[in-house]
Amino acid sequence: MDRVGRERLAGLERGSGFVSTIQRARGPAASVPLTHDVSWIAENYPLGEGRNVHVSVFLIRAEEQNILIDSGSFYHRESLVRRISGVTAGEGIHSLILSHSDYPHSGNIPAFRRRWGDFEIVASSGEPEIQGLPYARRSRIGGSLEVAGRQIDFLDPPLADRSHTSWIYDRASRVLFVADGFGYHHAEDETGLTSRQLPDGFRSEEIYTFHRDTLIWLRYADPPVLMGVLREIFAEREVSWVAPIHGNPIAAEHLDDYLERLEAGVRRIVGEQAV
Amino acid sequence: MPREIHPGIHWIQEFGPDRPGIAKSLLDRGAHWYRPGREIHVPQNAFLFAGEQTLLFDTLSPAATDRILTDLEAVLDGRALDYLALSHPDVPHAGNTFRILERHPGAKLVAPGFGRTHELYHLEDAHKVGPGDSLDLGGKRLHFHDAAFLDAAMSMWMTEETSGMLLPVDWMGLPLMDGEGLLFADEFRSPVDEDRYAEFHGRVMFWLRYVDVARTQKEIDLVLETYRPRMIASAHGPVIRADVPHYFEMMKEVVERVATGGRTGVL
Ligand SMILES: [Fe+2]
Ligand SMILES: [Fe+2]
Ligand SMILES: [Fe+2]
Ligand SMILES: [Fe+2]
Repeated sequence: MDRVGRERLAGLERGSGFVSTIQRARGPAASVPLTHDVSWIAENYPLGEGRNVHVSVFLIRAEEQNILIDSGSFYHRESLVRRISGVTAGEGIHSLILSHSDYPHSGNIPAFRRRWGDFEIVASSGEPEIQGLPYARRSRIGGSLEVAGRQIDFLDPPLADRSHTSWIYDRASRVLFVADGFGYHHAEDETGLTSRQLPDGFRSEEIYTFHRDTLIWLRYADPPVLMGVLREIFAEREVSWVAPIHGNPIAAEHLDDYLERLEAGVRRIVGEQAV
Repeated sequence: MPREIHPGIHWIQEFGPDRPGIAKSLLDRGAHWYRPGREIHVPQNAFLFAGEQTLLFDTLSPAATDRILTDLEAVLDGRALDYLALSHPDVPHAGNTFRILERHPGAKLVAPGFGRTHELYHLEDAHKVGPGDSLDLGGKRLHFHDAAFLDAAMSMWMTEETSGMLLPVDWMGLPLMDGEGLLFADEFRSPVDEDRYAEFHGRVMFWLRYVDVARTQKEIDLVLETYRPRMIASAHGPVIRADVPHYFEMMKEVVERVATGGRTGVL
């Protein structure tokens, strides 16, 4: 891979020196275990006025290989490199599955490949070249692939912004990685906490504001249709954790609560923004 | 080569790679406008507005860096680029931003003001615009708007006053066959109809699957009433220069078709 090729994705990148000057203070734990081989590497981005959003990645430590789900934002690059190195005992990454090519999800791919070698990229784009990923192995929404020995299903996501987004289901751990779905505007002291650790659970208001500000099309939604498709996804497969890039991971036992608050939030968005 | 679609407004196109996957699905469902064996392309468009000052709207994808730099040079014809405006920071729309700014260091970067995550796109220093903001290029007058139909939250639409042009970005695109690059919608020999628009929107705006049809159609009427456009310049479709309301009616059909028939695929 020539340097120019690697840099193509990074059309919006500046020199790496720029990144270090904007590095912010670290979140709490290096990584948060969800299952015995899946962990959450949480990064926080403050939105102001007490609201924050996670821009995280997840790591699957498969048999002998490490699979990263998304690459995080260049904003958190140094911290991510340090923490991924730490959690993998210096092994780094062998495969990366990308939910979609939006920069806060894909922005570290060139840098990670420079650091850990030209590891495999699996991406669900219809046309990887256009998304700046000419070297990606293509996954198909609705299809399945074996990645580093794991069976991975790629689901059509009802909650997403970009067309080529897929939700990523790891059959072995039964974790569902949901990209821009199931986000949350958390308080600063809730950074890095899963639903099992949130002292008072999820608040409806911050589920609402996340969706209002992130998935703009929800103003047109037909709530029963949308919620019906969402609930079907969970009826069809057993899910141990819902793992959002922009939220606090949701354990199976807290999913119904989140879905109820989400439904109320969608109804509120629809009501407030009616044409 | 770019095409001048209105005095001082130039259309730059990345025709995109052949998409046999889309062609196959068109064949499988017997899309009436598709001719077997023809290539299918999903274009990326950028538009250069030249008044006394110049503004480029979008950058094409990272696969077309040479194209945008070369075509831009040709239409500028020795003039400076004063502004580079991004509709939204998606890779295929914004992926050449810093390459263009490197080549045209005097150009001012303009980006949608929506939201608080500009730093995550290296857009914290961009000039942020939104509804109510205008830019007078001298002879060309641009207005910035919230995007009604979009993918990324940080998005904007634009209108240009002298031409009556609306730039609806990811909305009103369609797949092209070979030979259909840089054509006005009224120049096509194959039909430009709701089936063709539905093929595109069932991919890009997959979320139309989950909408309230009547309410979404009402929004289309509202867009028409609000902007009363005489021309449409989408980032992924042919430029429309006549009979705009007719195409808006098609787009209302598209909503209905995707909502009932589901998504057509991925882009
Ligand atoms: Fe996204
Ligand atoms: Fe995102
Ligand atoms: Fe887009
Ligand atoms: Fe687009």
